Amino acid sequence: MSNSKNSSIDPVVLVTLGVVLVAVAFALIAFQPSGAQTIASASGTWGQIVVAFVTGITTGGLSCLAMQGGLLASSLAHQIEQEYQPAPGHLKRHGKKVEFVPPSRVNSALPIFLFLLAKLVVYTLFGALLGWLGSFLTFSPMTRAVLMIFIGIFMIGNALRMFNVHPIFRYFSVEPPKFITRYIRRTAKGTDTFTPLFLGALTVFIPCGVTQAMMATALGTGSVMLGAALMFAFTLGTSPVFFVLAWLTTELGAKLEKFFMRFVAAVVLIFGLVTVNSGLNLIGSPLSFNNMTSGLFASSSDSIPAVDSAQPVDADGSLTLNVQNEGYFPQTLRAAANTAFTLNLVTNETYSCARDFVIPDLNFYQLLPATGTAQVTIPAQAAGTKLFFTCSMGMYTGVIVFE
Amino acid sequence: MVKKTFRVSDMSCSNCAMKLESLEDSLEGVKEINASYHKLTMVIEYDETKLSEEQIVEAVKRKGYTAVPA
Repeated sequence: MSNSKNSSIDPVVLVTLGVVLVAVAFALIAFQPSGAQTIASASGTWGQIVVAFVTGITTGGLSCLAMQGGLLASSLAHQIEQEYQPAPGHLKRHGKKVEFVPPSRVNSALPIFLFLLAKLVVYTLFGALLGWLGSFLTFSPMTRAVLMIFIGIFMIGNALRMFNVHPIFRYFSVEPPKFITRYIRRTAKGTDTFTPLFLGALTVFIPCGVTQAMMATALGTGSVMLGAALMFAFTLGTSPVFFVLAWLTTELGAKLEKFFMRFVAAVVLIFGLVTVNSGLNLIGSPLSFNNMTSGLFASSSDSIPAVDSAQPVDADGSLTLNVQNEGYFPQTLRAAANTAFTLNLVTNETYSCARDFVIPDLNFYQLLPATGTAQVTIPAQAAGTKLFFTCSMGMYTGVIVFE
Repeated sequence: MVKKTFRVSDMSCSNCAMKLESLEDSLEGVKEINASYHKLTMVIEYDETKLSEEQIVEAVKRKGYTAVPA
């Protein structure tokens, strides 16, 4: 006796697919290369919110699913259990004829939706709290680098756990304390609405690596409104990916769940490596991928914007670095050894994180104006010295070579 | 009351441990269950006059896992 499957499409699914399409369109508009002008560059604050949203939709969803999938599964457990257990159905009498009416299939879309709704509300409030706290704190690039490396290692460990590489990686999975799980179970027992709402809210206690990075960013804003807006945009961005993958996983069964978990593991592994690499960039480590390969690819990288490929040397011997939304040009600057010089950092409607300019070895950090020129005095360095510079996210890099 | 440890090798995440611990609420005679995804074990304290080892293994199976007495 098989369960009957509801042939109509769930409205919650339709709404969510609509949100996915809108989100994708939003992301495409934000990144369309219409000259140098993008939505992200239309305004600094708006740009940060768009970046948070795009981060959510591109990386956050998968990373969060890997980390918080357990709680989501808990919120679906009641529904899933109903499907696992042989449901009795019931008998319906039509005159003398008795017909067996099989149990209806359980809808998994609503609890996922409620879970994500609660998550959105709680993360927005948490973003406001972080922004408020951030008005009292500031993260140095070094602190941020250590945090990023730690988060990256955590993501890599979780990916290797999902790939079942070695039992040791199981310890990268957070086991909530027993009293919490027992409390959740007993409080939420038997209520299909409350459980996903409650568990969605609880995800704030087990943020994934990307979320933690976004929380650090919200903390760095030092503003209640911007902190809340960033976390709202990011969580909203994660929601469609989270929803679709979770819904497909519950609907399509265990075989596809394994496939999706491997896919998620692969993506989390890549993002983990990227995060560690960004952290290494931020501490100016020559071991980062960018810095190790800067010599190899310097000529090709510098040739991207042809007008910027030549190294500008001013009459007074100062050097100029163009800080653009896409990074630093040229990526390799050559300076005379044993001579101090002035580095001109030129921005022109630059709103990406390239504005947050860091030279780790000099312990120099400055948020550059969106348009203008900032000057940095670079002290004399011995021949052969390499001074790496980067944005505060460790995404865009470059080097000054002294010869 | 007795306390027994079972090995549950097919746990794949922390949520599996939470699911196993939920047997506390449905199995008569159970005092406490502590499941660990890190160790792939489930420690159960129960009244052996009300519950047998076979019943525990069967209940775990219904949750989708395989418990083997350690």
